[in-house]
Amino acid sequence: MFSFRLCVLTALLIPLTILPALAQERAYFVTYDHYLEERGNLEIAFATTTGVPKKGDRVYTAPWLEIEYGVTGWWTAELYLEGVTTRGDGNAFTGWRFENRFRPFRNEHRINPVLYVEYESLNEATRIQKEIVGAGRVHFEPIAELRREQAHELEGKLILSSVVGPWNLSENFVFEKNLSASEGVEFGYSVGAARSLGTLASGRSCRFCAENFVVGVEAYGGLGSTVAFEGAEQRHYVAPVVGWHVADRTTFKASAGFGLTENSDRYLLRFGFSYELPTRRGR
Amino acid sequence: MRIVTLTMVVGISMLSQTVRERDAEWTVPARQASKTNPLAGRTGVEAGGNKLFHERCSACHGEDARGTDRGPSLTTRKVQSQSDGSLFWKISSGNTRTGMPTFSFLPELQRWQLVVHLRAQARGKAPLP
Repeated sequence: MFSFRLCVLTALLIPLTILPALAQERAYFVTYDHYLEERGNLEIAFATTTGVPKKGDRVYTAPWLEIEYGVTGWWTAELYLEGVTTRGDGNAFTGWRFENRFRPFRNEHRINPVLYVEYESLNEATRIQKEIVGAGRVHFEPIAELRREQAHELEGKLILSSVVGPWNLSENFVFEKNLSASEGVEFGYSVGAARSLGTLASGRSCRFCAENFVVGVEAYGGLGSTVAFEGAEQRHYVAPVVGWHVADRTTFKASAGFGLTENSDRYLLRFGFSYELPTRRGR
Repeated sequence: MRIVTLTMVVGISMLSQTVRERDAEWTVPARQASKTNPLAGRTGVEAGGNKLFHERCSACHGEDARGTDRGPSLTTRKVQSQSDGSLFWKISSGNTRTGMPTFSFLPELQRWQLVVHLRAQARGKAPLP
């Protein structure tokens, strides 16, 4: 529990220490919209997922580090490093992911598609749940056992995102293939709606103005696989989200996910902090 | 695996050096170009536009909007001769080919505030950030 408290405290305090420095206030944790990283910008994010299981299993916290780079205006690449810590069961590095998002169209349209391709080298102790696919519970065997089971996975997503009035509406369709086992192709989804609380920007510098906050809700879950649909075994969550544009390049976000099915954890609490670095500047 | 990694690194490096030119084919739909600014003539909104420009645009276009190696000047006749609706559409839509980000995540009135600020900036009346 100490590790969890430390993670939460860090996530809450860091934004307050950052000097004003262009982050896009993406409040979602799981759902992707069509906004890519700006070309030449590097974003570093630290986030955690804390799961409170239903059936007496141990509470866990899974932190991850994201390094996101805007390669071009239509291509964003991202590296994830992730871990897990469980009270009384120790900590472990659970693997890495390399993701790429491609936006095929030059301008904005009513529906903006983005193609997503990710390679994952993870072990079975992974619990960040950046996406949920297939069916079944999170594994709760001892971490030492789970980390010995490696998996190489290929994941694709079709991301659709629209701006409707003040709202962003995003839908993601997820396909994942475990290259290390014959599990067929697993499916998942996530959908989200979010909006800024502000309308006009005030002329003064302020941290707690409504314009600095984005609120919304996302829902995500697994949809079985090509082998079996397993409706009763699936995990689904609904999660209100809030994003706070702390300073020019700094965003803090939080979400409380509620498990909707028997196999879902009771709650998934997420906190995230991101800081954007411009890598090229000057005339 | 090493070859795949090497190919990815080289590919990323090459693509990150794409040409930063203006996109001559970036044309504004006529219906969008004819939109009028709902904040035109309204006092007190330019300061907010100035703050937004400082936060969102100055890293590429410069604090004085006269351009950097990442983005062109916005004070030129070519830009300023465009209608408010055209500027608003370009801010909202972005252009993935030139690297101009999409700012449709900002509330609509804030994007209009940016247009107000760009006009003031070109007239030399914008306050310093």
